[in-house]
Formats: sequence, structure tokens, C-alpha cells
Amino acid sequence: MKLSLQRQIYFFTISSCALFVVLVISLLWSTQVIDTALKREVYAHKVEDHTHILKLFIISENIYASNYNTVNWLILDNKFNELLRLAPGLTPQQQTIQNSIESQNKNVLRLFNAINKNKLKNANEIIKKHLKIRLMTQLEAIRSDSIQLSNIVKKDIKNVIRNQIIFILSILLLVISILVYGAFRLSKIFRTSLEEVKSAFEKNHSGDFQKIELSNQSQEFNSIASAFNAMNKKLSETTVSLESMKKTVAERTHVLEQLSNTDYLTKVANRRALFERGSAEFSRVQRSQSQLAVILLDCDFFKNVNDQFGHLFGDDILINVCKVCTEEIRKIDFFARYGGEEFIIILPDSDLNGAVETAKRIQHSLANNSIAFEGKDVCMTVSIGICTANDKHTNFEQLIKDADIAMYKAKANGRNRIEVIGGHISH
Amino acid sequence: MTTYVLKKKLEVDNLNLKHSFVSFITILIIVGIGVFCFNLQNFWSQEKYLVTIAVSKTPLSTPFYVAQSINSFDETCVRVKYFDVMGGQIAFEKVMNGKVDFGTSSDSVIAFQSLTQQSFVTHAMFVQSDNDVKLITRSSDNIKSTLGLKGKKVGVIKGTASEYLLSTLLAIEGLKMGDVELYHYKPEQLIQGFSRNEVDAIVPWEPFVFKASQLLGSKIKIHDTKSLSTLSFNLISQTAGGELVDRELVEKAKCVIQGLHTAINYIASHPQESKKIVIDELNLDPAFIDWVWPDYIFKLGLNQSLILNVRSQAVWAVETQMREFKDVPNSERFVDSRALLQVEPGAVNLPL
Repeated sequence: MKLSLQRQIYFFTISSCALFVVLVISLLWSTQVIDTALKREVYAHKVEDHTHILKLFIISENIYASNYNTVNWLILDNKFNELLRLAPGLTPQQQTIQNSIESQNKNVLRLFNAINKNKLKNANEIIKKHLKIRLMTQLEAIRSDSIQLSNIVKKDIKNVIRNQIIFILSILLLVISILVYGAFRLSKIFRTSLEEVKSAFEKNHSGDFQKIELSNQSQEFNSIASAFNAMNKKLSETTVSLESMKKTVAERTHVLEQLSNTDYLTKVANRRALFERGSAEFSRVQRSQSQLAVILLDCDFFKNVNDQFGHLFGDDILINVCKVCTEEIRKIDFFARYGGEEFIIILPDSDLNGAVETAKRIQHSLANNSIAFEGKDVCMTVSIGICTANDKHTNFEQLIKDADIAMYKAKANGRNRIEVIGGHISH
Repeated sequence: MTTYVLKKKLEVDNLNLKHSFVSFITILIIVGIGVFCFNLQNFWSQEKYLVTIAVSKTPLSTPFYVAQSINSFDETCVRVKYFDVMGGQIAFEKVMNGKVDFGTSSDSVIAFQSLTQQSFVTHAMFVQSDNDVKLITRSSDNIKSTLGLKGKKVGVIKGTASEYLLSTLLAIEGLKMGDVELYHYKPEQLIQGFSRNEVDAIVPWEPFVFKASQLLGSKIKIHDTKSLSTLSFNLISQTAGGELVDRELVEKAKCVIQGLHTAINYIASHPQESKKIVIDELNLDPAFIDWVWPDYIFKLGLNQSLILNVRSQAVWAVETQMREFKDVPNSERFVDSRALLQVEPGAVNLPL
């Protein structure tokens, strides 16, 4: 059964109150018991005192004297009877003593009457003395009984007090246990439930729509949890999660980046990508004092091709040049369209000879990979300018400029040839 | 920052609370184990003595029968075995012969025996009656008072309350034991002697008075002697020495008295059940128990009046020359209150 926190608090409070009420009742009860016990003790003392008086009476007077007045003694004994009659309520054990006292008192009276009936006129002194002692013994028995009664009552009082202390301590212990347990349990419910709700909110914040699973059940928190879970369900249905959004954005960004770095026609790196890579490589060369070569290729008579075969074929020619170049360069080399029919190859860790070798391979490959236009092979040649990075260069653009100069030199010297700047070709 | 501090504080508070709770439970468990071990130690340390008791076969021994019936000796240090005997005097003899550890004897027996025996003690009185011993005469003899007994043959049980009551009754009327012809009987043979006309009067105790009234009905007269003699029954044993080590004797007596204490409290709170136990045990007529029960007072005690009673009876026996002794020993030496003091100190009321 799930009890609401409010009810649980009520329950703890009421049970603690009930126990306190029990405590108060038991205190009142024990007061009553002790009061009764005190009455009994007073009674026992009265009996003892009275017996003492009766004894004194017997000792002080000669009960066998002919002029002995029995009236006074009988009045005294009547008073004693009255005292016994008005005894307070006694326990069975005490009642036994009381019965003994009453019985002994009857014996006293009977003996007294036997003695006084005819003053034992026939009896000798021995029996007179003996009976007087018997009378005293009976009174002594009553006194002993009253002392025993008093002792029992005292023991009862002690027991009542001891039991009461044990009872009060037990109840207090119980109350404290209940309160500690209650406080501990309630605080645990509050703490864990609040933690769980808080953690659910935090997860929600990061787009992780999860249900609240309460480890401690309580009506109040259950209602919060169910309301939250209902809200979460709706949110998860209508909201794209942040994670998937990030993924999509990353994918799109990647595509966009690729698009922005790629030449639309030839699908090789464009001018923007060229400068980005070129600047990076140039910086690396400056840092590490390594080598860097740049090859600039320009298609010979490309305008004529466009004019003669049309722009579409011109595009095919450019695509073919790109294909050949891409195949002939090393993996670490970077090939890009510089603009129009001009292309640039960046060759990291390459000296002039390496670059010339690459250029020659391209020239050779282009010669072998002509493309046909309406059944007739059209061969495209390129003029190549090569330069290597040296101390004069302060940026990548200067390197390109030098490669451009070399390329124009190749154009000027008759096209389909290789010219270099910044070094000599070793043969 | 504040939230963090509060959170930490809450965690520390919870931890403290948890620790307090765990400590509380631990203390409870430790105390529980302690109490258990203490009781266990008590349980194991209690060795049981086998104690034999000669119990006089009379309703006066009710506490013993009840104790056995409600198993009140089970929680004490003794296992008891009863020997049924006819009268306190035989019980006394069995104790003195060493055949039993304890016995039940009336104060009269103690008084008479104190004149000859020195090595016995009374541990506790457990019952008293002021009407147990009675004088029975024939209705046809028309004896109205004890005076009429002069010259008659009277059957008594020697050295018991029976003999003491007769001597007192005679003395009140100025007679001596010599004025009657005494016949000594065993308790169970008194009625037989009376029926056979061997004697004119008998002084039996219960249940023989009741039996006589049932057997002989209106042929007998039971004289009203209530209150003229009180009779108490007591737990006696030999004094320590011989085979009994003093400490062991007190320990045994203590445990027997513990059982009697439980039984006596039971009698006080369950009189009807107690009556039934005695009726079944002694195979008695329920009417008889109803007849004697009001005269009985079951209570543990060891007080001055017992000593006075014993002493006065002993003095009486000497002075009336019922016994051929001159000196009456100090009666207080026949009382050992150590056992009863351990069980119910309030019941002991002796002069220092």
C-alpha cells in the first residue's frame, strides 16, 4: 500500500502521541498503585502499633486478678477489629497475611475470653503463665504478620517503581526508535526522490528524454513523476534530439566544405583549396627548411580547341587533363585548378628534379591519352612552369608568381615544354 | 556555490543520521546479546540438586502438592522427590535418620523434639491453622467440657500437637495429664481405637476428624477447640554437618522455599484450582477440603511468634512433666533464616 508522505507524517505523529498517552496513563496508573500501596503500608503500621498497645496492656496488668477490668481491653480489641474491617484492598498474597491477622486476632479474643471466663479458678499457675504467654505469642504473631505485610507492601512499591521505570524507558525507547526511523525514512524518501527528479530534469536538459523511475514510492512524488513522464513523452515525440541535429549539421558542413573546395567542372581542388593548402605547405617549409616545388600547367591553344570543337569538348579536355595529372602525381602531392585552363601541382618534399620528372610524366601521359572528337583524336599539350621555394619567397603567392613566369617562358619558347625558375635541371 | 554547500551539508547530515541510527541499532543488539548471554550463563550455571522431602500426608502440605502440580520447582536449583508419611513426627524421624533431606513437621513436634534432639533446624513455616487438632468424645458420654474427661481414657499421638492440645485443655480446667488415662496411637489408628471402645476420647488431627465424623456421624461429639491451639507446619532439616555441607544445605533449602513461594502465591490467587490439586493428590472428599480450608492460612514466615510458640510448648512439656527433661533449650537455635531471607526477606521477622 502506498501511503502519501502527508499520511506517513500523520501516522508517525499519531503513533508517537499514542505512545505518549500510554506513558501518561501508565504514570497515572502507577501513581494510583503507589497511593494504594502507601495506604496499605499505613494500615500495616497501624496494625503493628495497635498490637503493641494490646501487648503492653497484657504485660502491664495482671489479667488473672479478680478486679481486672476486661472492658478497657475489649474496647481496645473492638477498635482493633474495626481497624481490620476497614482494611484497604489487598492483593491475594497480602490478603493471606490479612486473613492470618484476622484469624490470630480471633484466637487472641478467644484465649482472652477463655482466661476471663472464670479466671481459670481451677487452673494452676503454670497453665496461667502458659496461657498468658500464648496470648502474648498470638499478639506477637499479629505483629509479625503486620510487619510482613508492611514488608510485602514496600516490596510492591519498589516493584511498581522499578516496573514503571522499565516501562517508561521502553516506551521512550520505542518512541525514539519510531521517530528516528520515521525521520530517517522520510528524509530518505525526500532526498532520493528529489535527486531522481533533479537528475531527470538534467537529462531532459541535454535532450535525453527518460522516464523518472522512483526508487521510493510516495503518492506526492509519484504524481510529480507521472506528470513529468507524460510531458517527456510528448516532448520526445515532437522534438528532434540535439544529438541527431549535430550529426546532420556536421554532415552538411562536411558536404559544404567539400563543395567549397572543389572545382565544379573537374571535381579537383579549386583555387580556394589550392591557396589554403599552398599556404600551409609554405609555412611548413619555412618551419622545417624542407623542400617544396610547384608546377604550373597551362593548356596550349585551349581557346582554339573551344572555338573549333565547342566548349563542351573543351570541358572534356580539361577533365582529361585533370585525370592524367591526378594519376601521375604522388600521393602526397596536391593538384588543383588554378583558373581557366591553368592547373597547379604542389609537391611537398620535392626538389626541382623531382618536379621536372613529374612534369615529364604528365607530358608523356597526355601525349598517350588523347581524346576523340567525332572519330578524330585530339591531343592536348601543356606548357609547364616549375619553381622551387627559396629564401626569396615570403609567401605562397610569390612561389606561384615564379612558376607563372616559368610557364610563360615555356609558352614563349614554343609551348609543350618545361621551364624552371630557381634552379637548374640536372640531366 | 551555495547549492553545492547545502547539498554537501545535507549529505553530511544524512550520513550523521545514518550513523546515529546504525549506532543505536548496534547498541540495542549488543545489550540484547549481553542480556541473553547473562541469562544463558545463569541457565548453564544452575546445577540441579536432587532433594528428598518427607511430606506429611495432610492437606496442610498443600503448598508441596501445588508446587509439584504447577512445576514450580522447575525454575529452581532442585529436583524434588516426596516421601509420603503419616504425620510430622515420622517426617521428623526420617529427616533425623538421614533418609530424606527435608521434612514437614508441626511446631509441636519441633517443641517436643527440641528437648532431645539438638541437630535440626527450621527453615520456614509454610502454613498455620488454628483448628486442625480437635477433641472427639462419644455423644452418649455427654461430656460438655474438658472437665468431664477426668478419669477417662484418652487416645493421643505422642509427642505431637495432639498431646499438647489435650494438656492445654485439661490445664485450663485445672486438670493434669495424670488425671486422664493416656493411650498412644499412630495417627491413622486413632479412629480404630475409638471405634473399638479402647478409649473414651481421642485428639486427632485432620483429615481423621473429618473421617471420624463421616464414619460415626452423630455418635461422636466434636468439641469446639478452635483458636485454643494454633498449629503450624514447617520445613525442617538436619543442621549442616555430617554429610551436608552448610552452604549446600542453605542453597537446597532456598530452592525448595522458592518452589513453595511460587506455590503459595498460586494458592492465594487460585484457591479453587489449589483445592482440586489437594483433593486429587490425597484422594479426599471435596466436602472435607471445604470443611478445613477456611482454617488454613498458607504463608511463608519465620518469626518471633514461632519461636515463642515452640518455646512455650517446650516449657509446657517440661513444666507439666509430659517429658522428663529439666532444661528447655534456647528455641532460637532451631531456626535458620538464611534460606528464607534469600527468597522473601519480608517474611523473616526475628529478633537480632
